Amino acid sequence: MAKIIACYKWVADEADLRINADMSVDLSKAKGKISDYDKNAIEAAVQVAKGTGDTAVTLTFGSGKAKQSLKDALSRGPAEGFWINSGSAEKADGAASSKVLAAAIKEMGDYKLILCAEGASDTFARQVGPGIAARLDIPCVSSATGFEVNGNTVTVSRKLEDCVEVVAADLPVVVCVLPEINQPPIPGLKAVLDAGKKPTRELRLEDLGLSETDLAAKTELQGFEAYVMNRKNVILSGDSAADKVKELVANLKKEGII
Amino acid sequence: MSGIYVYSDNFGLSAALLSLAAQSGEEVCAITLDQDQADELVNYGADRLLVLKGDSPRPESYAKVIAELLKKENAELFLVGSTARGRELAAKTAGYLDCGMVSDAASLVFEVGKIVTTRLMYGGSVVQTEIINSLTVVTVPVGKFEAAKNESKKGVISSLEVKADQRVNIIETSPIKKEGIDLAAADKVVCIGMGLDKPEDIQIAQDLAQVLGAEIGCTRGIAEERHWLPVQSYIGISGANVKPSLYISMGVSGQVQHVVGIRDSRIIAAVDSNDKAPIFKAADYGIVGDLYEIIPLLTEALRNA
Ligand SMILES: Cc1cc2nc3c(=O)[nH]c(=O)nc-3n(C[C@H](O)[C@H](O)[C@H](O)COP(=O)(O)OP(=O)(O)OC[C@H]3O[C@@H](n4cnc5c(N)ncnc54)[C@H](O)[C@@H]3O)c2cc1C
Repeated sequence: MAKIIACYKWVADEADLRINADMSVDLSKAKGKISDYDKNAIEAAVQVAKGTGDTAVTLTFGSGKAKQSLKDALSRGPAEGFWINSGSAEKADGAASSKVLAAAIKEMGDYKLILCAEGASDTFARQVGPGIAARLDIPCVSSATGFEVNGNTVTVSRKLEDCVEVVAADLPVVVCVLPEINQPPIPGLKAVLDAGKKPTRELRLEDLGLSETDLAAKTELQGFEAYVMNRKNVILSGDSAADKVKELVANLKKEGII
Repeated sequence: MSGIYVYSDNFGLSAALLSLAAQSGEEVCAITLDQDQADELVNYGADRLLVLKGDSPRPESYAKVIAELLKKENAELFLVGSTARGRELAAKTAGYLDCGMVSDAASLVFEVGKIVTTRLMYGGSVVQTEIINSLTVVTVPVGKFEAAKNESKKGVISSLEVKADQRVNIIETSPIKKEGIDLAAADKVVCIGMGLDKPEDIQIAQDLAQVLGAEIGCTRGIAEERHWLPVQSYIGISGANVKPSLYISMGVSGQVQHVVGIRDSRIIAAVDSNDKAPIFKAADYGIVGDLYEIIPLLTEALRNA
């Protein structure tokens, strides 16, 4: 029985993001959540492991706050949860995250398939899956809408801009899934209760032979600000519907649209 | 460190990225996987065009080769077109190089001794600005930069025999039938949202679209949940990006995930019954009202205009 590893990120919920008057962004009150798309990766791992008889496990790189994610992740079906606990996760870029995750995967050993989402709902940088593959020097297949494991290969359907492509890849492999691959069910009460009894393992950077300096940001962060939408914001205030419409038409004329 | 390398599996994007790179004043090298593309790209600002001759048709399988090349050449920037293949290639290349990467740059400016990029985060609510001062991979989406032909400058083409990664192989490909239209190229867009009650009501939007000469787009729910329009028709962070001269919405609340896809529109107009709908913050002109009343009146008024 080999491991089928689903990676996920514990992210700040974008719905709780607050914009201050000076356009700075306040995430301090944001609740955490498993990045939406990662739930598809977890579900895919659980489903494929059922078929192959392997063990689905989850892996996350997160600060102390991510501890609460383990139960949520395990309630979705995997047998064991791995967590690299480091405050550096809060500032980690794609290079740091994929480096840490790849090192953890090596340490966990005996893996045949690594599942990631295409991107996380906070950064949506879409770097980590391929980054892990490069660091482990194993193949990667991204944009997956479906896959099947047969012996030592995986056959993956991919959705590209203008075609659907089916590829075969040698295991072990990283597969990055698109959200349409499945519909993760909401875990039932029993699954939630069972999750609390499942084993979890906490890893530290030192266990992986890494230090904070290995994870230093590769680019210099200069700004992190609310997007400013510069629009006229004119609400047409005519008395009747017909008046409002007339005003809109007049404005569209003035703008040279019609 | 010197030299900017550019790759995209999309010809137009390659040309646009070469024109962007040429603004730096650095030496610019286009990487391609086929001679024909190199021949067509010679006039877009590259100093050199390097044709990689390998044994795989998959661009993604050349990540390690390209990483080794960039290292050997002491490159300072690798610009990659953000297509599905390009993103995977770019992220693997950055992984092999253990270098930084900026995904889907919204802007990229060459300054003295550094490059400044911006990109969107949190579904488009936040702009992150980064400074690059060592070898970095940057992906750039379609439509951000224009290709500019430079007939006076002709790049020198050379080729290099390389070994691709053989561990992933294509079994079959089938083209995606494009239902409907290319929204990204539309000059006017009429967008319908979940405020519409029944599929028949799309006719109201179609009538308006007809007098405007507009294409019809929608929000995600209309395509993904209600299946009233094909998935190619939905606009937003997970759908199409549009940049028409006019975008006009009806029954669209204007959540950030949708609005990200319309930001490059010249004029945004919105009709919604809820005066607090966020779409009005994103709009130039708004009408608070019932779309079933307003839109037919508007269609009529435009017809007579
Ligand atoms: C990760 C993620 C990615 C997403 N990506 C996308 C994306 O790419 N594109 C996208 O569109 N969405 C996306 N969404 C969904 C997005 O958050 C919104 O839910 C969606 O855009 C809302 O669609 P809507 O405005 O049509 O519907 P609603 O939010 O339900 O709005 C309907 C509007 O219609 C108005 N209305 C109702 N009746 C009338 C009437 N008779 N006349 C006038 N107005 C009326 C209401 O006042 C309301 O404002 C994403 C969500 C997530 C979490």
